[in-house]
Amino acid sequence: MISLQFLTTPYPPTPLKPFHSPNTLKPRFPKPYLPTFTVRSVLQWNRKPQLAGETPRVVVITSGKGGVGKTTTTANVGLSLARLGFSVVAIDADVGLRNLDLLLGLENRVNYTVIEVINGDCRLDQALVRDKRWSNFELLCISKPRSKLPMGFGGKALVWLVDALKAREEGCPDFIIIDCPAGIDAGFITAITPANEAVLVTTPDITSLRDADRVIGLLECDGIRDIKMMVNRVRTDMIKGEDMMSVLDVQEMLGLALLGVIPEDTEVIRSTNRGYPLVLNNPPTLAGLAFEQAAWRLVEQDSMKAVLMEEEPKKRGFFSFFGG
Amino acid sequence: MPSHVQELRVEFASSYRRFNCTRRFSPSQKFALGAIDGSASSSCQEQSSQDKAVKNEIDTLNFKDPVRKLQATISSLPPIVFAMRRHVGSNFAIGLCIATAFLVMAVRIYMVRKSRYSRPGSVADLVRRGQLRSDRRGISRPLKYDDPFNNPLVKVGKSNTTVEMCGKVYRLAPVTLTEEEQTIHKRRRSRAYQWKRPTIFLKEGDFVPPNVDPDTVRWIPANHPFATTASDIDEDLAQNNVYQQHGVPFRIQAEHDALQRKLEALQNDQKLNKLVIDSSNAKDFERAFKSHSKPLEHGEESFSNDHVGNSKSSSSEQPPNSFGSAASSEEMQKP
Ligand SMILES: Nc1ncnc2c1ncn2[C@@H]1O[C@H](COP(=O)(O)OP(=O)(O)OP(=O)(O)O)[C@@H](O)[C@H]1O
Ligand SMILES: [Mg+2]
Repeated sequence: MISLQFLTTPYPPTPLKPFHSPNTLKPRFPKPYLPTFTVRSVLQWNRKPQLAGETPRVVVITSGKGGVGKTTTTANVGLSLARLGFSVVAIDADVGLRNLDLLLGLENRVNYTVIEVINGDCRLDQALVRDKRWSNFELLCISKPRSKLPMGFGGKALVWLVDALKAREEGCPDFIIIDCPAGIDAGFITAITPANEAVLVTTPDITSLRDADRVIGLLECDGIRDIKMMVNRVRTDMIKGEDMMSVLDVQEMLGLALLGVIPEDTEVIRSTNRGYPLVLNNPPTLAGLAFEQAAWRLVEQDSMKAVLMEEEPKKRGFFSFFGG
Repeated sequence: MPSHVQELRVEFASSYRRFNCTRRFSPSQKFALGAIDGSASSSCQEQSSQDKAVKNEIDTLNFKDPVRKLQATISSLPPIVFAMRRHVGSNFAIGLCIATAFLVMAVRIYMVRKSRYSRPGSVADLVRRGQLRSDRRGISRPLKYDDPFNNPLVKVGKSNTTVEMCGKVYRLAPVTLTEEEQTIHKRRRSRAYQWKRPTIFLKEGDFVPPNVDPDTVRWIPANHPFATTASDIDEDLAQNNVYQQHGVPFRIQAEHDALQRKLEALQNDQKLNKLVIDSSNAKDFERAFKSHSKPLEHGEESFSNDHVGNSKSSSSEQPPNSFGSAASSEEMQKP
């Protein structure tokens, strides 16, 4: 067993990882050991995060306040997870104001939604839209824009969906990520029903924080224990000038573990318009890297141990004298 | 000589390609001259003057193009070397030829590449015309991801107190939240917000069904923009629809079955008619059936909507050869 453990983690744990701690105390579920597995073949590839918890991990991404970046987070974290090799189903539960398909650039490929599945107009597998860039990523929309969702079944419909995805022939997905609508009415209730963990997206301003606190309260009442927060649109320059709450202030107010801190980045808007999530950008951007790190922590059920503060002037080398 | 130079100059300016050709010849002529009477000092002087002329002429062209400039520099070098060591002339000629050949090759490759890019119908052309998006061309090459915590763009400082991301150095502040603080927040929230997730959605004004806790009812306004509590399908059926993995989806099947039944009824109808009516009249009937097929489908849809829950049982109740009912519906739909 010891040797097996060693083989599944062939890379030496890097000591220089202050904002990502390898938490060895949590139960791990190592992937089945394959006989053809060699250390060398793993070393050729880069590190992979260790999947913690039972699959499918049903994660709801919620915020309370609107427009703080739930959909952006869903798209980027979802695709990062797919890039890390996990199978992901992203559910756009934003009834009526659907836009996850746009962010992913899949808007032309959504023919069927969950409404059609429930009504028996199509099967579930026909409503799942597979991304061509990362074939282990699938999108499922709850309803078409301009159509009403029959709410008669409450959150049950989403529970059925999760059960159906579990029972799929190609295997149960590793992650089911639900993009929750803003507010706390019927759409929110429907979206959180099947979830067993939640990511709370907030921006560092008091309106967003008050809504966030309320939503956390409701999630806790509903028995969702694993709630982590993601602070979006952080501007280190404004924090330095004391014009914006720092991430640590936010944490003090909400008392939640940090999954990620996403800086304000104009590339976010550009990638939204292109329908090409930020994390696929090459070369990577600051916000894209932050999303990738958050996805990594989500896989390992880890949280941030340190946050980025203000910029420091870069140390100039000897050759900077000569304009280098 | 000057007139000749003048002529050359005009040619140079007119075409770059021709410039290359002529340039390849003129020095070799010059060298031939030098080789014939290399011993004579007078010819040496004559040659140097000739060289000077060539040089001047090339200098005037310098502003045309950096490539030409380079070429000109190369060709302006020989006279000096030549004046010093006359015997390496032939070697130099070969060198110059090679250099020119390389230049021609480079230009040609450049031209080919340029033409390939603008070739109509190429992928690059499609991208340029906005038909294709360069970043969304089907399956992209799987990016071999880097460790997001340790890659060329993310470097943690030696003392773990700084991190360099995308070329900027940030200070790292440790997270101070403790378990106790987290539980304090949890307790505060559990006092502040007491909530039971609604499990049933009802339209405002509806009666709460028996055996339902009124606390778990969510009231949906009748004019809610995105949601309605009405659904034309019962719960078990909806669940089965979600679970269905193979075969024809339920409603499609139901519609198909209903249509099939109608068709069979009509066929029976036709058979009965055939007994009485001769074959020429059967043609007429078929045409009539075709014109009726459209309204029939409409009738089917409402039918399947009404009986969506128990269409299987209704199909067994209605034997396909129930001639009377089919005929009566025929009568109804006739204008
Ligand atoms: N880190 C960021 N930097 C800059 N802009 C951002 C960032 N995050 C989100 N945005 C912008 O904020 C807007 C809203 O984002 P998004 O649609 O993800 O929010 P949402 O919470 O899903 O909204 P809704 O509540 O309407 O569903 C988008 O235009 C997006 O480009
Ligand atoms: Mg959204």
